[in-house]
Amino acid sequence: MESILNVSKIEKYYGNKGNITKAIDNISFKVNKGEFVGIMGPSGSGKTTLLNCISTIDQVTTGHIIINDKDITDLKSKPLEEFRRDELGFIFQDFNLLDTLTGFENIALALTIQMRKPNEIDELIKSVAATLDISDVLTKYPYQMSGGQKQRVASARAIVTNPSLVLADEPTGALDSKSSRLLLESFEQLNHEQKATILMVTHDAFTACYAQRIIVIKDGKIFNELIRGNSSRKEFFNKIIEVVALLGGDMTNDI
Amino acid sequence: MIFKMAVNNVKKSFKDYTIYFLTLTFSVCIFYSFNSIHAQSAVLEVGNSSISYMQTLTNLISIASVFISVILTGLIVYANNFIIKRRTKELGIYMTLGMGKRKMSKIFIYETLIIGGLSLGVGLVLGIIASQVLSVMTANLFALNMTRFKFVLSIDAIIKTIVYFGIAFVIVMGLNQVIISKYKLIDMLNASKKNEDTKVKNPVISVSLFLVSVVLIGLSYNLVLDVGLSTREPLFLLSVVLGILGTGLCFYSLAGFLILMIQKTKKVYLKNLNIFTLRQVNNKINTNFMSISIICLMLFVTIVSLFTMFSYKANLDESIKGNTSFDASAVLYTSQTNEEGDSIEEALDQLDFSFNDSEEYLFFNEYALDLQVADIVSPYIDASNVHELENRADDRNIKVFTLTDYNAAMQLKDEQTVTLRDNELLVATNYGDKIESINRFMENEDAISINNQPYTIKNDDLIMDNIENQPHNTDFFYLVVPDDLSEELTLSGTRVNVDFGDDNREESEAKFAALFDCFNTIGGEFTQEVGFIQGFTREQATAILYGNSAVIIFLGLYVGIVVLISSAAVLGVQQLSEANTSLNRYTTLKKIGVTEKMINRTIFIQTLIAFMFPFVLAVIHSIIGIIVTSDAFATRNKNVIGSSSLMISIVIALIYGGYFYVTYVGYKNIVKNS
Repeated sequence: MESILNVSKIEKYYGNKGNITKAIDNISFKVNKGEFVGIMGPSGSGKTTLLNCISTIDQVTTGHIIINDKDITDLKSKPLEEFRRDELGFIFQDFNLLDTLTGFENIALALTIQMRKPNEIDELIKSVAATLDISDVLTKYPYQMSGGQKQRVASARAIVTNPSLVLADEPTGALDSKSSRLLLESFEQLNHEQKATILMVTHDAFTACYAQRIIVIKDGKIFNELIRGNSSRKEFFNKIIEVVALLGGDMTNDI
Repeated sequence: MIFKMAVNNVKKSFKDYTIYFLTLTFSVCIFYSFNSIHAQSAVLEVGNSSISYMQTLTNLISIASVFISVILTGLIVYANNFIIKRRTKELGIYMTLGMGKRKMSKIFIYETLIIGGLSLGVGLVLGIIASQVLSVMTANLFALNMTRFKFVLSIDAIIKTIVYFGIAFVIVMGLNQVIISKYKLIDMLNASKKNEDTKVKNPVISVSLFLVSVVLIGLSYNLVLDVGLSTREPLFLLSVVLGILGTGLCFYSLAGFLILMIQKTKKVYLKNLNIFTLRQVNNKINTNFMSISIICLMLFVTIVSLFTMFSYKANLDESIKGNTSFDASAVLYTSQTNEEGDSIEEALDQLDFSFNDSEEYLFFNEYALDLQVADIVSPYIDASNVHELENRADDRNIKVFTLTDYNAAMQLKDEQTVTLRDNELLVATNYGDKIESINRFMENEDAISINNQPYTIKNDDLIMDNIENQPHNTDFFYLVVPDDLSEELTLSGTRVNVDFGDDNREESEAKFAALFDCFNTIGGEFTQEVGFIQGFTREQATAILYGNSAVIIFLGLYVGIVVLISSAAVLGVQQLSEANTSLNRYTTLKKIGVTEKMINRTIFIQTLIAFMFPFVLAVIHSIIGIIVTSDAFATRNKNVIGSSSLMISIVIALIYGGYFYVTYVGYKNIVKNS
């Protein structure tokens, strides 16, 4: 399997001499093309720092992150911006849709900043909207949409550019359970049909159980790795809960 | 401790304060330099005649200053509110930490004091520099000589500036207290979360409203071009009302119209951040269309009045030529004598007025033809210049002087004399620049007939020198004829022209000025004795000619620049508040991978549009306005319009462009530091 993301021996320190906090302490893992990987961990475990480093928003202290054969720890700020624009797609907890733009325009923005041709843009948006079942909200403004619709528009914006890697940061954090389920099902669908590679950070066991593989982090280190394999979602969920209990019951679950 | 915090706050948020500081400094600078005009007369060779105009100017500027300080205070309050709003969260944190409202107010008082003191200081220094430039301009406008360059410093103006702005700062402090005391902690902490309301309008309505606004503006232009600048005409008022309505409606619907148009052209719409830029502009114009319309109209009035004033002045400079050739000149018209047949010489004798030894003088006669200018040029008037002679005061009979008198007058001012044959005459007038039919007359006719006798016009080019000092009625037209003809003509007045000589000029000037002043009002003491003598020394004539225009220009510049600064500052502050409210949007853009370059570009375009929209419409309005006013003020000289528009463009570009740049940089910083 071709690997899309290769994190090798990264460390991230905060603070200065004599007072150093290791947010990430020697983490290495790989994500293959077409995988749906979850990252779990209690708060303060370093999962957000990890995601920030992968998403090029933050820089690692040591180690290398290779995405699609490019070492992003070597890139300067300008190519980094372009890399983020062309190779990554983001889904955020609070949607981050532009309130002044319609659904269509929000999705189109991801394409126009890549200088795509106008005809192409129209078609791409139509097809992604059909996949995520948001065709009828394209002309609406965010304040006219439900939370689930907003997050699906945001997801459409993230994958419409066909990025190498989709990064989702607590995507269900602001959704009710029904919308969460719908969203996660569409993630699965994207993963299966479009072969999208998704890396999702969450602290919620139910959300996590939609992933194929889960990396559990504690105190900046990899604590455990769970693979769903052929087990049913229910079984996988129970497995996750066990690990969560092992972590010290630090993590909440909604079920 | 509190003071230290205030100092640190100012240092830390200096970038936020830039536009506030700039506005304050500019205001102080302008306020001081115009109020110090009185002190500037010290360095200028101001004669008695000009002093009264300087006094009028000083008084008018004092009155205008009151009005202007109200505008500036409003502006300072507006800019200050922006800063407070931007810092609500900071205040919230102080409050959660247990700081009392009293202490918070204290911080703000100190901050206002620091910023106010700083800008007052810098503004005064700049103002003192600017006033030196202004005194050169004063000299120019009043046509005075600068004897020596001396540093002008007006303590009065400094005190006045400090008092006026001190009051403004006290008002700002008071308002800050009110704002702070009204705040609730919960609002302060949630301040950053509040989002601007997004207003969405029906595009079809927007487009039709936009079309209506275009029609309204067009109608207004059409009307005003038809009726001209006649403020009492109801049609003129209608045109003003239509123009205002059209402008407001235009900005109300412009954004919606633009969106619809640009959405149709996919190549523009779906390019870079254009979608975002368009929506931002739409949102901004929709929320601020009222203030944008007002700013547009203020800019329009400023541009037109600055332009009109400069052209008026330049036009005056043109028409003054030849009207101040003598040290002194006076006339006693036959219709205004006390006893019939009195000449000016006899009248002066009666008044016991005597000439000094150093003075050279010439008594001579003025005759009148039974003919008017309009009569001789009438064959050359066609549809295009039918109005040219209207409003030209010279509907009296054409003046005539004899060759001997004319030559004597030429000698008096050390110029060459001329000779005429029996059937020749000379035409002297400054109408050539203004009245095309005169030029055509000169080209096509070579004679004028007087008493049925044709006289050949000897000069090919018009003589452009008047035979008297004339500040009121600067247009002149007269003929010089052979001496013999005078017997057949009617005497219309007797004149005296004087050359003061090289010694005792000041004494002579004072003597003649005093004499002429006694006749300033018809029916005065002297008039009852000898009739009405109208006379002007060169200095008096210059003072009258330049005095009025200088007063108008100074006032116009003063008010115009303040209005320009206010408009630009309001636009700038609006744009920066916009930056604050849309911070989340920029954060989102950054997160989805928009490069910094693209963000800077959209900020640039947004700021440019915010500044350009009202400006462009104001300029279009102004073009029509200038056509109308130059018709009204008879500014036909093309060069005049060219040179004054250059001056005004530079002033506007500096102030407006400066604010644009500061706003753009400020906006970028706000987004960058988020």
